[in-house]
Amino acid sequence: MTAKNLLMSLLSMLAVTVVSCQKEPSTSGLHEDFLVYTDYDRQTDFSDIEIFYLPDSILLIGNSDQTEYWKDADAQEIIGTVAEQMEARNFIRTDDKTAAQVGLQLSYVEQVTYFVGYDYPYWWWYYPYYWAPGYWGDWFGWHYPYQVYYGYTAGSMLIEMVDLTAEQESRKLPVIWDSYIGGLLTSSQEINMQRTLNAVDQAFAQSPYLITDSLIR
Amino acid sequence: MKTNNIFRHKILLLAVASFAFALPGRAQLFPNTYMNIDWQMNVPLGDAYADKTSGWGMNFEGGYFITPEFSLGAFISYQTNIQSIDRQTLQLPDGSSLTTAQKHTLFELPFGVAGRYNFMKHRVFQPYVGMRLGADYAEMSSYYYTIQQYEDSWGVYLSPEIGASIFPSPDQRFGFHVALFYSYASNSDRLLIYSMDGISRFGLRVGISF
Repeated sequence: MTAKNLLMSLLSMLAVTVVSCQKEPSTSGLHEDFLVYTDYDRQTDFSDIEIFYLPDSILLIGNSDQTEYWKDADAQEIIGTVAEQMEARNFIRTDDKTAAQVGLQLSYVEQVTYFVGYDYPYWWWYYPYYWAPGYWGDWFGWHYPYQVYYGYTAGSMLIEMVDLTAEQESRKLPVIWDSYIGGLLTSSQEINMQRTLNAVDQAFAQSPYLITDSLIR
Repeated sequence: MKTNNIFRHKILLLAVASFAFALPGRAQLFPNTYMNIDWQMNVPLGDAYADKTSGWGMNFEGGYFITPEFSLGAFISYQTNIQSIDRQTLQLPDGSSLTTAQKHTLFELPFGVAGRYNFMKHRVFQPYVGMRLGADYAEMSSYYYTIQQYEDSWGVYLSPEIGASIFPSPDQRFGFHVALFYSYASNSDRLLIYSMDGISRFGLRVGISF
């Protein structure tokens, strides 16, 4: 091997080495607890809202080709925690969907991974077993008034607040608050449940704008 | 999410080292030249984004002796600093909120020209003072949940150093290299609630010289 060839070999290996040189950290410790991300529509004045409707089921997003709902005692405990948090902020729960100003929909991602981005606002149309906009009235799609970037992975929960008083001209139902909760899937069902309840509490704790003075009006 | 195969990385480094150690018979490939391959550790200074001392770094430098004392060459190096961030709620600039634990990494890859003034040439212990000037690519990342979020930036890189080449047999010019350095890069960037305005480090290089 000539000196020139040897030098070229060294430089080639150097180039490959430098390209693959970035050290990635161990991420195992990042899954020891849940993640909560919340965002909201800046144009919405939540103090103007009084009445909310909360279904008695959590929609399951999985690989089933049938719409599935989670309704057992664990689901009721989660739904009850959401209701308690809303009522603690002076919102009033109603059983009459048509009387509500906002609706809350809960979804749990069982197995699949999806990505929602602002560039793909009609993602929901591609997944027919998500909450149908028609559940809430004469709506034909969804609309986020703010940027949305998050991935859905197994063991995730979504809590979304939709504005049922919005103009229906566009027929897109606005999501005015959303909470993405991740990291709810461990080998222990007991831990999963406690994490979920704690994460729901955290979602409201980090959304201080979610409060109304309806009780003193 | 980007991943690296660390095992493949080690194999490549081993291959580079094997070639280098096979060189003593013809230690100086070209007359009046030198080459250094170093392991590199650094201590971040000031309010650093990822502020933990790190040994995840390498340095490569080669040069030509314009005079017996003065050499001019090129360098490229890289290093990654890592820091764990406890779980906390971040109020993001866009108004959203995020509660999570994080791992921060700051990857830096400077390259450019290197000048040295060498003392006591033809001795076993050959000290030098040097200065590096070049460009710096930096990538600040936050790992949380299953996500890596990152921003990259470019800056100007400046690094004075003192060091020495140690040649047990000076005529062969194959031996060891050790250096202390300070570096500053002008990279500026923002990620989540964190900002970076310049990168300052103090570090050590240990390697081979031929």
